[in-house]
Amino acid sequence: MDTYSLFAGQFLPFTERYLPGGHNACAGSGTALALRHVYKALEEKNVDFAKASWDETPAGIFAPHEAPGAPVLVLPKPDESSLYICFDAESAPKKIKTEHFAKKNPAKAAASGCLYVATASPSHPFDLIEKVRRGWSVAGSAYIHILCPCPSDWGFDAENTVRIGRMAVEARVFPLYEIAEGHYNITVEDKNPRTVADYIHRQDRFSTWKKNTIAALQQQTDDSYAQLKNNAAHEIN
Amino acid sequence: MATKSTKKLTPVSKLLDGLIAGGKLQAYTPEKKPLKPVWDKLICARCALCSLYCPDAAISRQEDGYFEADLDLCKSCGICHRECWFGAISMQEVE
Repeated sequence: MDTYSLFAGQFLPFTERYLPGGHNACAGSGTALALRHVYKALEEKNVDFAKASWDETPAGIFAPHEAPGAPVLVLPKPDESSLYICFDAESAPKKIKTEHFAKKNPAKAAASGCLYVATASPSHPFDLIEKVRRGWSVAGSAYIHILCPCPSDWGFDAENTVRIGRMAVEARVFPLYEIAEGHYNITVEDKNPRTVADYIHRQDRFSTWKKNTIAALQQQTDDSYAQLKNNAAHEIN
Repeated sequence: MATKSTKKLTPVSKLLDGLIAGGKLQAYTPEKKPLKPVWDKLICARCALCSLYCPDAAISRQEDGYFEADLDLCKSCGICHRECWFGAISMQEVE
């Protein structure tokens, strides 16, 4: 976030129309924060939230093993297509592995006919709000994959939720990009990325990881980011 | 032949120690006092970032343009204190 967008929050609606007063999510929950931003984005769009439903990653469109048990908010649009929003908290059943960081759902959603596909993080709220609005206004199905840091599951202090989310973007473990009608576009890009080890050593869930596992994740992150860059460069030219 | 269990169970009366006083069930009081965010109005630039990052939608704009937390909703996670660019928010104990 640059210095000028610091004050952009003042132009967002201040009414919390859809969030009930006092939900029972944990303190500092990334999922609650992301959900609040989604509601904020759709506040002026006349969305019929009575028709919205929660689903566990629909196996027909996406691979269910990519984000096991991640809740998906399905918002039906007036033109019979839907906006899928996946709240991925990276909850691994036993032990976190490097395969959990290869997010293949966005590419699969784009291949299965979603016109607008994006990844977002609540640490970049304006980016997230813009993407949700675009996903709602596009004529066709849209899919948005949101990384929600979870303080109790990942093992960090509740006050660091936004920092950890930002760190995931800066370390390129979870790059923010969008695929609009097959065109890749990287929305947030740091020229000096963090190392993956910097991101990892702040969380307790990686306490059992050895050096070679961290190196493997670094290699995987670099490879997938190079692939993403390649895709973005190819589609524009 | 049943072997004798060596593991001793904690008596129920010990588990409820501190919860029951004078034959009445008392409210559970955690040892650590909850914290609340307090704004320094001399530093605050009214940028609304704290209200944007609050997961519980507890922070709202007051009539004078500054921000305040609704302590009924606040879970004292400290995100506002951590994310304030100007360092205007400090976490203080609730009296």
